[in-house]
Amino acid sequence: MDLFGSFALLLSFVCAGYAFAGGIAAIVTRHPLLIKSARQAGVAACGLIFLATASLVYLFFSDNYSIAYVVSHSNRDLSTFYKIAALWSGQEGSLLFWSFLLSIYIVSVLIAYRGKHLELMPYVSVVMAGVQIFFLTLNNFVANPFRALGIPGANGALDVVARADGNGLNPLLQYPEMVIHPPNLYSGYTGFTIPFAFALAALLARYPGEKWIHLTRKWTMIAWCFQTAGILLGAHWAYAVLGWGGYWGWDPVENASLMPWLTGTAFLHSVMMQEKRGMMKVWNVWLVFSTFLLCILGTFLTRSGVVSSVHAFAQSTIGPWFVGFICLTLAVCLAAYWKNRDYLHSENQLDSIVSRESSFLFNNLILLVACVAVLSGTLFPVLSEWVEGSKISVGAPFFNKVNIPIGLMLLFLTGVGPLLAWRKTSLESLRRNFGWPLGVGLLAGAVAWPLGCKDIFSLICVILCVFVTVTIGMEFYRGARVIRARTGYPFVGAVRELTMRNTRRYGGYIVHFGIVLIFIGISGAAFNRDAQKDMPIGSTLHLGRYTLLLQTMDSKPEKNYTAERMVVEVLRNDKPMMMLYPERRFFPSNQESGTMVAIYSTLREDLYVVYAGRSPDSSLPVIHAYLNPLVKWIWLGGLVVVFGTLVALLPNRQPAMVLAAERQKSAGHALAGAVASHATYSESHD
Amino acid sequence: MTRVRIPFAVLLLGAAALVPMITIPLGAQQTDRAKRIGSKFMCMCNCYQVLTQCNHVGCQVSASMLKELDQRVARGDSDDLIVQSFVQEFGTAVFAEPPNRGFSRMAWWIPALALVAGLALVVMLISRWRNRPPAVAGGPSAPDISPEFFERARQQADRETEE
Repeated sequence: MDLFGSFALLLSFVCAGYAFAGGIAAIVTRHPLLIKSARQAGVAACGLIFLATASLVYLFFSDNYSIAYVVSHSNRDLSTFYKIAALWSGQEGSLLFWSFLLSIYIVSVLIAYRGKHLELMPYVSVVMAGVQIFFLTLNNFVANPFRALGIPGANGALDVVARADGNGLNPLLQYPEMVIHPPNLYSGYTGFTIPFAFALAALLARYPGEKWIHLTRKWTMIAWCFQTAGILLGAHWAYAVLGWGGYWGWDPVENASLMPWLTGTAFLHSVMMQEKRGMMKVWNVWLVFSTFLLCILGTFLTRSGVVSSVHAFAQSTIGPWFVGFICLTLAVCLAAYWKNRDYLHSENQLDSIVSRESSFLFNNLILLVACVAVLSGTLFPVLSEWVEGSKISVGAPFFNKVNIPIGLMLLFLTGVGPLLAWRKTSLESLRRNFGWPLGVGLLAGAVAWPLGCKDIFSLICVILCVFVTVTIGMEFYRGARVIRARTGYPFVGAVRELTMRNTRRYGGYIVHFGIVLIFIGISGAAFNRDAQKDMPIGSTLHLGRYTLLLQTMDSKPEKNYTAERMVVEVLRNDKPMMMLYPERRFFPSNQESGTMVAIYSTLREDLYVVYAGRSPDSSLPVIHAYLNPLVKWIWLGGLVVVFGTLVALLPNRQPAMVLAAERQKSAGHALAGAVASHATYSESHD
Repeated sequence: MTRVRIPFAVLLLGAAALVPMITIPLGAQQTDRAKRIGSKFMCMCNCYQVLTQCNHVGCQVSASMLKELDQRVARGDSDDLIVQSFVQEFGTAVFAEPPNRGFSRMAWWIPALALVAGLALVVMLISRWRNRPPAVAGGPSAPDISPEFFERARQQADRETEE
């Protein structure tokens, strides 16, 4: 099976090569047979990558310990669930997994647009094949996951040997979220290849207008949704597994996933300027290019060992390949832009500074400044070492100081943007739209301050969160009120109807509300508390209104590990409430340990209990407890963001149905129907 | 035998009594001051976590750094002295954030410069777009709808949304 996998990988490299070279020849000659064969080679390359990936999964399930990668990342006692996760737990497998996910996207695009956009698609196929060739080069020649374990034989050649068992999977990865977090994150990274391919293809082909934007909108949103879910799942994994009481440490690998998310978010907003007003064409093209390049840069940071991180893969020689690819891609983007820049002129003028257009500009500015801050902070230790010869650290305190004000500005714009009209917003409209949200926001601040919200940034965050929530609520209320008046639907039904008539606009508002919930959760971090104690059996630890009583401890042998478990009774206001079981696991296969945090989570706060091992001095169990307010809001917000994105991906409900119903009511309402119809049309890109 | 055992036991007890004075157990509750100072340092095990937050299993580096910090705090060393001693031992990489001096200051300036440059760009774009002649009606982005229809539609929308 390993030979089959290796062969499939090699053949897919050849097919991708043909898809690339044949695609260029097809663009030059316009020969239909060449176009068709290049396209089919692209599909074949993807099919072969599926087979190679399936082979590696089979090798894990069949416990084939003659393959180095399987030996390093699995063992016989590893559960089936985690044998799937073992596929992407190391350098070689995760790069194959990257190729696999990219193939899914490529096949989907090739099938979805088969026979359509004949001018553009050959270029798109060539760009996608180019990206695929890079990763297949790594899969085949730099980090091959099918490399057999070997020892030098008598004739100098390597003899394949097989081990009885493997080293096992890293304990930190043996957690349910590690089975879904990397696929989500990688789906985000690889997904941004599609808008990149369309943007570059449209530029190279001088494809007219905003068509490439329309074509890639859904792909961009899918990638963005995966990236968002991946980031939040990673944060939850860090929270529940690493045992340091936090969910985001501004680690370079975390930052690497955040940067393309920031530029991708900016792109999702600025495309509306191009769709509605024919503006920001250059900006959009470069935002897509930057997002893709940041995805590759993030992968480079994770895998090259350039920056130190507890998340990073083992240091390897793969870095120069990524640097080369980034430089090549940048050069191609620059050349394509320079050659065809005349096709990217804006068409319209800006009527007023107080307009939706301006709010998008500022939104993009803030998102990009956040990206620059994260990028510069991540790379500064390397830069400092290069310039001064001494390394400095740029840790969480720096990122928090810089990014909290930026995040609050962004939150403010999240509320302001939807209240401003396209082209121009009158003073009367400003007063009408901002009065209530601002008033309620300030009132919330006035209530929060005496309740103990004394941290200035948290207080501003509370005010802005309420401000944004009220603006979103008002948008839904106003729209639903009109629909209810005209259709007689109950209010909830009217809200549903409103959302379904313009899924993009109202799905976007739901996403904004999810972001508000996330901000609420983050603001709670200012009030985190913790306590640590060496605890004999029967002793207590007090934290806030909770008392932790260590009742007993036991040992729990499992198939793949042995757990040392603390049995902790939790009392709230001195009344027994529940039991928590923080544990520490020892994995004999790789002689490593891991923690399993016990969390009691409510909307108000998380009681987070870690068994940190035994004190070397007293040999007593060390219990570290944290009280983290509002953390659950972050995960809820994540769910809302994903839900909103899914809503935004739905097609709009046909306004014709509404018109038909209206016409039956009275002729006088015909204009209203037309208004609704036109409004749906004109706002369909909001 | 008993005569030997008693002094030995006394010695042991004495030594045991001295232990807390010379060692600080891993699990001991850190003082607020130690926490405050510790939050300025990174754990030097390459985990990329702030010293007081490093809790990954088996980290010997953070344990010994925290121990040293607690000892110095217990001894009454000043903040500056503690910081200097950590820098001497681990280099400037021990700081959790770049010190605001020399080249490190650039780390703080880059986001601010990006914001200023971005603002200048936005202002430039806005002024350029405002000075541009109006787009021709019926351009690629504009739906083909007459001004009369727009006006009627606007009035209708106003009537229906104002209460």
